[in-house]
Amino acid sequence: MSDLEKNRPLSPHLQVYKWQLSSLLSITHRLTSIINIAAISLICFWIISLYLGENYYKYFQIFSSSMVGKFILIGFTWSFCYHLLNGLRHLSWDFGYGYEIKIANFSGALVVVVSFFLTTALWFFI
Amino acid sequence: MMNIAVTKWIMQRATAITLVPLLIWFLSIFIDLIQKDYQTTLVFFENDINFFLSIIFLIVVFLHMKIGTSEIFEDYIQNTQYKIVANLIISLFAIILPLLTIVSLVLIKFY
Repeated sequence: MSDLEKNRPLSPHLQVYKWQLSSLLSITHRLTSIINIAAISLICFWIISLYLGENYYKYFQIFSSSMVGKFILIGFTWSFCYHLLNGLRHLSWDFGYGYEIKIANFSGALVVVVSFFLTTALWFFI
Repeated sequence: MMNIAVTKWIMQRATAITLVPLLIWFLSIFIDLIQKDYQTTLVFFENDINFFLSIIFLIVVFLHMKIGTSEIFEDYIQNTQYKIVANLIISLFAIILPLLTIVSLVLIKFY
């Protein structure tokens, strides 16, 4: 490969795109997917510590009852909620619905609002 | 025989649809259980339905994670060899971690 080929920007061209709601939400979808890997790993360690016994489980309890721990867990919950709701948006596109710019912008804004509501509901009302 | 890319495309959507109810269920029980004591959580996972659903959730979530991560690698890693190594690492991760977790669930339930 020549230097020129090596330095070509890779698609999706994040460096050159003009920022708009649709691209911002699409990038957030990927970002949350990566955060979700950390979150699901934590859930796995939670279950493994449950098997290992109370001595190990108590570290998880110390973490989850601390302010920092709660902040991280609520953040992870939002990340899951956003990815799930925006995923539904992607599914509707896969079935051929919701492509009009107005509808896509509306559904995008709706996803953001509902993701915060769902996170609040999961933590404080269920 | 379907093209591998088509199979992955369909699998990613199928796992996504499966995960909608499973994720909401798992998040709600997780948030509930971490605020309770050790014994309550243990008893929860010994229940047949919770045990079964948790295992299904883990398998589907890691399958979805594996396909999705490969797709990101496809977009951002140009070098073929690096891409093969990255995919290998994520495959191992997507097998080992859920496997250890499922083994833990089985041991909790049956021992």
